[in-house]
Amino acid sequence: MKKLLTIIGGVFISLIIVSGVFAAKLLLINGAGATFPYPIYSKWFYEYAKIDETVNFNYQSIGSGGGIRQISEKTVDFGATDGPMTDEQLQKAGAEIFHLPMVAGAVVLTYNLQEVSNSRSSLRFSPDVVADIFLGKIKKWNDGRIAQDNPGVNLPDKKIVVVHRSDGSGTTFIFVDYLSEISGAWKSKVGKGTSVDWPVGLGGKGNEGVTGLVKQTPGSIGYVELSYAVKNKLPYGDIKNIAGNFITPSLESTTKALDAKVDTMPSDFRVSLVNPSGKDAYPIAGLTWILVYKKQNDKAKGEKIVKFLNWAVTDGQKYAADLLYAPLPNSLITKIQNKISEIQVK
Amino acid sequence: MNNYLRRKITDKLMRALTVFCAIFVLLPLISIFVYVISKGITSINIDFFTQLPKPAGEPGGGMANAIIGSLILTGMASLWAIPAGVLGGVYLSEFSTNKLGTLIRFSADVLSGVPSIVIGIFAYSVWVRPMKSFSALSGAFALGIIMIPTIMRTTEEAIRMVPHDLREASLALGINRFKTTIRIILKTAMPGTITGVMLSIARIFGETAPLLFTAFGNRFWHQGMTQPIAALPLQIFVYAISPFEDWQRQAWAGALVLIGLTFVISLTSRLVTKRKI
Repeated sequence: MKKLLTIIGGVFISLIIVSGVFAAKLLLINGAGATFPYPIYSKWFYEYAKIDETVNFNYQSIGSGGGIRQISEKTVDFGATDGPMTDEQLQKAGAEIFHLPMVAGAVVLTYNLQEVSNSRSSLRFSPDVVADIFLGKIKKWNDGRIAQDNPGVNLPDKKIVVVHRSDGSGTTFIFVDYLSEISGAWKSKVGKGTSVDWPVGLGGKGNEGVTGLVKQTPGSIGYVELSYAVKNKLPYGDIKNIAGNFITPSLESTTKALDAKVDTMPSDFRVSLVNPSGKDAYPIAGLTWILVYKKQNDKAKGEKIVKFLNWAVTDGQKYAADLLYAPLPNSLITKIQNKISEIQVK
Repeated sequence: MNNYLRRKITDKLMRALTVFCAIFVLLPLISIFVYVISKGITSINIDFFTQLPKPAGEPGGGMANAIIGSLILTGMASLWAIPAGVLGGVYLSEFSTNKLGTLIRFSADVLSGVPSIVIGIFAYSVWVRPMKSFSALSGAFALGIIMIPTIMRTTEEAIRMVPHDLREASLALGINRFKTTIRIILKTAMPGTITGVMLSIARIFGETAPLLFTAFGNRFWHQGMTQPIAALPLQIFVYAISPFEDWQRQAWAGALVLIGLTFVISLTSRLVTKRKI
């Protein structure tokens, strides 16, 4: 018995010693935040580990709200979010935080309607119809206003089940930001934020949860990040933009949305991409940002972070398209690089 | 006669009911085993035990870092919680005054009922926030807190079972109190103590909640005690809710490994306790 205990204890202690030896070799940089860009971030950190073998970037996708919180608490070296920090949040953090755009993505309306999934590739939605569905004013799929946008589609007499996020989410931010933009009623009744008081519907945790609920619930409609809908083979709707065209969410139409806002981009990059003016631009798109402190107190880490950020906005962009994110246009990349050069490493 | 028949029928009915209930209790356990094995067994391969995770959505890779991480976390938690728990148990049964003893016992019982997520948040606010870093140490700290009440109470119970004669005989032979406690009492109570220790290890091995905001998770090999570290339950949690099929598959494999290791720990504790002194 004593022997057994000695063996077990010995194994544990040697493991701990081994881990101590490892410690000397690598620099570990920790980050946390948004789930929306998780696929591309994990790809980047995986590839970057091959380029610079002296550093590992560890990213945990705990949600945009969590990312903002942890960077403000300084428990992580960088944060990530899809909804920009508010002025109040920035003030609370105590030191200046940079928002650095990494890629853009689209939020899509996904639905579960067996009856129409065969007849046509996707349903079409006008902005006011989207708002009224999520306000609970349009209750049935065969409502006249949905039918008007979808001539020739045989819409069933079925109740609409709205599905939304239950947790604080950047995806929610982009979606309700859009609804506030196009609907006065939404703006006054619900407003925008990473979590809002939904007038109707069921809540699911994370993009995964909403995807799952829509999949299981006939007659449901929800919003998820584009790649989640594509990976799960769910249908998603075309949305009418300002120019009056119905736009299918895609890499190209998201890029167009980004292009429309590049010239008027504010210097802190905290901009919303929703409802852009471009003729082929998809209206519910958003940027995703990495959050870093302007003053980096740890010299070794600061230098590595700057190097990585420069890589991400240049060479890293080539991984975006495969994962259905829109890469940044060159004019914006130059601006971001200028910003990165302002980071002070002591 | 009529009365006799009625009693007999009642007896049969009640017996059938208890058998049914016993099966009913076992059913979830068995179905969990069967389900996890059937889902996970096909995904277990050499890579799973030797490779690091791949980026999201790419097939392949493994959970080697998480398995090692879990072992390290459990080891470090044991390193401080076992001595603390055992000595606490010794104090309770051997030295405590009535009032203080009752207070400690009550606190331990309350502590063992505190949800593990609360302990995680506690460790976050007293360790992670002041230190400005998620770390393996803070994870081990949180897990240790969960272990202590179980170890303390089982140690106390085990020591209570030691016959008084033994204690008196030892003292009568002129052996001092310290030696009597360590060499005679604790040694006699060893099987029970070890059961408590093993049970608490088995429990923390599968804990996710206290690690979310302490150990935090790590995509790479562990890099020292002051850095975040991967853990098997954390990895399973992340993989299971992901939209990627390959990750969901690996989550099942991870669950199977977790159950397997916990099973080994429980089995060891049973074997140890069977060997009476």
